[in-house]
Amino acid sequence: MSVLPARRRAALLVALVAAWVAGSALGATQPARHASAAPLFQLEPAHAEYVPVLDGSKPIYILVMGSDARPDEAVESQRADSLHILSINPAEHKASIVGIPRDSYVEIPGVGQNKINTALFYGGPDLVVQTVEQLTGLKMDYWALTGFASFEQMVDDVDGLVVDVPFAMSDEASRAFFDPGVQRLDGDNALAFARNRHDLPAGDLGRSEDQGRLMVAALAQLKKEFNKDPARLLIWVASFMRNGTTTLTLDEVLDLAFTGTAINANKVENAVLPGGNGMVGGLSVVTLNQETLETISKDLADDGLLKKANVPPSPNEPLLGG
Amino acid sequence: MQRGANKKRRLPLALLIVPVVLVAIGAAILLAARGGGGSIIGGGDEPAPPFDFIVKPATAIPTAPDADHAALSANAGEVAQEITPMIDDLYTNAYLDPSNWRHDDYEEVFTAFAPDAAATAEQSVETLTLGATAGDVFDTVEPGKSKLSYQVLFDPDGEPETAVVSVIFRATAERKNGTYLALVSEGEFFLRKIDGWTITAFDVTRDDHETQPPSPSASPSA
Repeated sequence: MSVLPARRRAALLVALVAAWVAGSALGATQPARHASAAPLFQLEPAHAEYVPVLDGSKPIYILVMGSDARPDEAVESQRADSLHILSINPAEHKASIVGIPRDSYVEIPGVGQNKINTALFYGGPDLVVQTVEQLTGLKMDYWALTGFASFEQMVDDVDGLVVDVPFAMSDEASRAFFDPGVQRLDGDNALAFARNRHDLPAGDLGRSEDQGRLMVAALAQLKKEFNKDPARLLIWVASFMRNGTTTLTLDEVLDLAFTGTAINANKVENAVLPGGNGMVGGLSVVTLNQETLETISKDLADDGLLKKANVPPSPNEPLLGG
Repeated sequence: MQRGANKKRRLPLALLIVPVVLVAIGAAILLAARGGGGSIIGGGDEPAPPFDFIVKPATAIPTAPDADHAALSANAGEVAQEITPMIDDLYTNAYLDPSNWRHDDYEEVFTAFAPDAAATAEQSVETLTLGATAGDVFDTVEPGKSKLSYQVLFDPDGEPETAVVSVIFRATAERKNGTYLALVSEGEFFLRKIDGWTITAFDVTRDDHETQPPSPSASPSA
């Protein structure tokens, strides 16, 4: 009597399991999530990227110096013939460049009144930083220094710089012989372009603007090359580290390089502090226009960016044709 | 007695045959629904096809003016060896493992990314993986010839700082309707050593196109 019910129970159990399996299988044929099912796959190219750009609200100020040291001289103990404040606003992905004429007659801490380019000779990059900070009231976060040979090498390492030479140049002293227009300059020619002042109406002030022009060209080229081949960023970073002297760490250079790829070079203001030529004790000096100096310093202190309205006229204006 | 005994046996036998038939039908339907693979109960998928990238020799990029180029080149090769299994896994998880693409489950893919990069990567599933609806579209995915090349930036002390991996990944996916899609993912991944190599930046383009069924002699994978 008890055998049959047990068999029935077992059979019932098997039937239930079978029904569950069959039900599950049937359920699997009902797509729950994608009811429309089997969409055609999109064949348009798709792109995804993430670039770790800095986005802080505090501007970053970098004093960029070019030493006039010759190949057998130490770059840190000669004169800084090229001085630029590169200020970056990470949040807005924008930057400004302000050139300081090398002959600017200023107070050098611990030295007294002298041309600003001698600060490097008297106290190395740190004294130049102190001098610029005192002059502008801006706190430099970092400095970077190059010499003639290292600048040339840096340019050659990135296969030259594409520069829009704004006007014809013909200067024997710097060996700058250029027709106007867009051209790729190798290290030697980029250095000549950066050094030429003899055939510029405002001399060193015009040269300072041209040096800023090279920095803007470098920024544009970094961005362009990065967009084409992101690995090129490493070439630029490595070249900077090998050929420059700087307080920036490699991590910081990488961060800035990534950030640089997000900056529109066409919107970078490139200004030079204006001043008048004069003589002090037999020295040919530039007396900076105090009002403009204060306006630009205040403007940069605000957000690191120079407003177009505060950009003084180009020292090369006579050559630029208005 | 004999007859009665026979009668008694017929009922459970019938009850057993019906479930067996039902199980068989269920299994057939389940297999058809899942593309022909995997276990019946528990919903398992077939394993990912074996896949390894072909790795080109790595390039060392020094930041020290007096760097030992030979030593750095050797180190760059070691960096490539360290990173390659991770990129193999990344693409296996993103494109090849049916247990991921059949179920829109790409969580494993994003563990390779640093948090900021992962946040963007997760929003780019359609570019960085086979896609959220892949399970509805495809039956199988087979890897093709895929390559990696490395550029390794060394710090002034000769330690690897950043590696850029250039990737060309190819695979062929068979749709449920019998047509084929050539999958091509090309791009660069920047990696830095943060508790192990981690992707901190990327730039990847997906450029698929229709293709013919692979010829029987074609050898898959690298």
